[in-house]
Formats: sequence, structure tokens, C-alpha cells
Amino acid sequence: MRGLIFAKRTAKEILRDPLTFIFCLGFPLVMLFIMTIVDRSIPAEAGMQIFHIHYLTPGIVHFGFTFIMLFTCLQVSKDRSTAFLLRLYASPMKPVDFIGGYTLPILGIAAIQAVIVFAAAFVIAKIAGETIAPANALLCILVSIPSALLFLGFGLFFGTMLGEKAAPGICSIVITASCMLGGIWMDVDAIGGAFGKVCQALPFYQGVKAARMAALGNTENINQPFAITLCYAAVLYALAVWAFRSRMQRDIR
Amino acid sequence: MGYAIETVKLRKEYKSTVAVKDISLKIKEGGIFSLLGVNGAGKTTTLRMLTGLSKPTSGEAYVFGNSIKDNPEQIKELENLSPQETSVAPNLTVRENLDFIARIYGMDKNTAAERVEEIIRRFSLQEVEQKKAKLLSGGWQRRVSIAMGLISRPRILFLDEPTLGLDVLARREVWEILEDIRKTTTIVLTTHYMEEAESLSDEVAVMAAGEIKAQGTVQELKERTGQDSLEKAFVEIVRAGQNREEKGGMAE
Repeated sequence: MRGLIFAKRTAKEILRDPLTFIFCLGFPLVMLFIMTIVDRSIPAEAGMQIFHIHYLTPGIVHFGFTFIMLFTCLQVSKDRSTAFLLRLYASPMKPVDFIGGYTLPILGIAAIQAVIVFAAAFVIAKIAGETIAPANALLCILVSIPSALLFLGFGLFFGTMLGEKAAPGICSIVITASCMLGGIWMDVDAIGGAFGKVCQALPFYQGVKAARMAALGNTENINQPFAITLCYAAVLYALAVWAFRSRMQRDIR
Repeated sequence: MGYAIETVKLRKEYKSTVAVKDISLKIKEGGIFSLLGVNGAGKTTTLRMLTGLSKPTSGEAYVFGNSIKDNPEQIKELENLSPQETSVAPNLTVRENLDFIARIYGMDKNTAAERVEEIIRRFSLQEVEQKKAKLLSGGWQRRVSIAMGLISRPRILFLDEPTLGLDVLARREVWEILEDIRKTTTIVLTTHYMEEAESLSDEVAVMAAGEIKAQGTVQELKERTGQDSLEKAFVEIVRAGQNREEKGGMAE
């Protein structure tokens, strides 16, 4: 119960910051629009599909999740720096209430963000004379949950370990790296080699790959990238929870 | 009258530093108890141990008979605090901040709503109740922070430097609030403003270098040192302690 009350507070704190809407919603939607125009400008002979709406939308959903990481990180580090958490440590709240209070609203925001991105993609596809099957869109959103958890884990971890000043810088590095290595803005499969292998070993690429398969309705080989992303997400989230609990123990040592 | 707090040789060490040295205190239930001391005297560390924010290295403390080591969760239900730094949720309104703390301390929705109304009236927060906490001045934020400490109906309210950084008027307003609260709640506050302690406290303890150098009413401390103000008595007590330590050090 206390976790839910704290979750409500966290949701209000994040959603009342206008920057949340600019970065978590505005920016991904603008990129969706711009990259669709880019896609229309690429000749068909080039055989480049990465900015095609069925490929682009899952990538944009993941791009949006990276900003969820940033705002999670900022929220946790801000709570710590203002002694707000100290006040709550002295209350009857337990560690699980804190973890749940950060996790639930942020996963909810990520889900709403993904739905809105797909709603915009439906409109764009309609204008372009294409269709996105709603069932595939829904599956894509569900398949993307581990990625949302992964970025939430990054945000919780960095917010716990870093101060308010260092946190945005580190998050920016992860945002850039995850977009590049995840193949959101470039065709990693076409590059191949060592770079391709590194990408394939990381959850960013696997998460985007699983989401793209779902959006295309190509579910035959979806299990492997989904499972890899899920494993990474579970490990990172567990690490973030451990870091938060350890920090809490250290704060009240 | 029973004791709200009793500490027995309470000690806190941080690596090579001893922040609190085996202090034994008895704080009566009701009224205002002030812990006085210069910066680094050990006041905040003592408060942190009594509120479960820090674990003692050795010794023991009891809050209404509950051991801080054995029953920390039980103690959390009995007390609340207003930390030294600003500790409000910045994007929540004043009303939401109060409701949030009330719910965290276990009140159901209706009880919390009634209690919020009561606290808003008691602290005269009507004009700012719908404003986001981050938009309030330092004085208002401190007032809200103390209100958040009181909303859970604690038996003991800990206030760490409640008027630090406030202007004269804001400080007086906080004093008036504390005068009102003392009727129903035991208040333990830390301060290094002697005027504040003299004006508010039923009893004070002077801390220096992690030790309790003296404890009693303001009048008792003045009589003991032969001084006519608490500030002078405080300086006398702290300097006497320093001189003893220096002599002890030389003898060794």
C-alpha cells in the first residue's frame, strides 16, 4: 500500500515536469515524423528498410525508453539530494515500497509512451497508404516491456550511484550508445563484422530486433532476441535494486 | 512524568572519528527539549540515531521504552521528523505533500483528508495549499516541512535546526508554531541559536565534541555558570570542557 502511495507521488513528480513531455513524447514523435520523410526520400533501389514505418516505429519506442531512463535517474538522484528520501527513511516505509514506488509509475509511463508512438505511427502509415496491424502493434508493445525494464534499471542504478550533476551526462552516453548499438538509426546487420557481433551481444540490438519482428508479425524467431533482452533486463534490474538497497543501508548506517 | 527518550552510553563512531561519545540523556515527555552545540558537536548524529537514520556503534536508547536496536519499526510509528535540509516533494502541492506523508504513516484516505484540513488550519497554510512546494519561499517550505512532521500525530517530533537560514519574521512564525505544538507533542530540536533555545525550551542539553557537557533548564544552567544569559552560560560550559580536554591531553 505504501509503495502505491509513493508510486503516485513519483508519477506526479515526473509528469508535472514539462521536460518529461518534451523528451519522452515530443522528441520521439518528431523523430518518427522526420525519419518517415527521410524514408520517403530514399530510392527503393537502395533496399534500405530501416526507416520504413514497420521498422522505424519499434526503434522509436525504444528511443523513447532511453529518455525514461534519464528521467528515472534524475528523479532518484533529486530525491536523494534534497533529503526527501531521508525523511522517508525515518518513516515506516520499507525498501520494497521505495523500489515499487519508482518501478510501477515509470513502467506505466513507458507503456503509455509506446501506445502514443504507435498511435502516431498508425496515422503516418495511413497517410502513406500502408497499414500496421493493431495485433502486431500490441504484440510489439508487450515484447518491448523487457527493454522498458532494462532502461528503468539503468535509470534506477545511475540515480542511486550518481549525483544530480553526473547523472544526466552518464545517461546521455547510454542514450547515444543504445541508439547506435541497437540499430535504431542505422542498419547494424548491414555493417556486420566485429561491430555487428558486439551489437548482437548487447540487449539494445536484441530488444529492438524482437520488437521489429513483432511489429512485422514475424514471430517465428522472436523467442531468442526476446529471451536475451529479458535476461539482461532481469539482471540489470536486480543489480539496480541491490544498489538502491545497499545505498539505503549505507545512508542509515 | 515518564521519559520519552532515555539514552544509555550511546556512541557513534565513523572510521577514525567519534561523533557521539557515550551520551546518557533523559528527556521527559511533553514540552520542548533542545540540543545545543556548535557545528560538529554531534547534535544531528544523535538525532539521526534516535530517528533510525543511523545505527549506534554501542550503547542503547529507548523511545517510550522501545529499544532503537530491537524495535526500530515500532519507534517509527511513534515519531516523525523535519530534517535540516529542505525535504518536501517539489512538484507536489502543499496539500498533496501533507496527504502523502499522512498516507505513508498509515492513515486511510478519509482520515488523511480530515487531518490535512486540520493541519492546514493549524499552520495557516490556506493561502499556499494549492501551490507547488518548489515555488514557496524558504520560510514557507520550512513551515510545510514541520507540518509534514506533525501530520502523522507523532508522540515525538524531531526538528533539526528548524529555523536555520530563515529571516527574523519567518523564525518568529516557526517559534509560534512550536509554542502551539508543544501542548500536544514532545519536541526535540537541535539548534545553535541560543536565543531560540532560551525562548522555547523547557530543558536543554549542551553538546560539544560529541559529549553532553551539561543538562538542565535554562535557569539551572545560568545559575550553575553564574551567567545572566544562556549564550554566556553556553560559552562558559563549552570552554570549560575544552580547557579540561586540553589539560588532560597535556597530562597524557
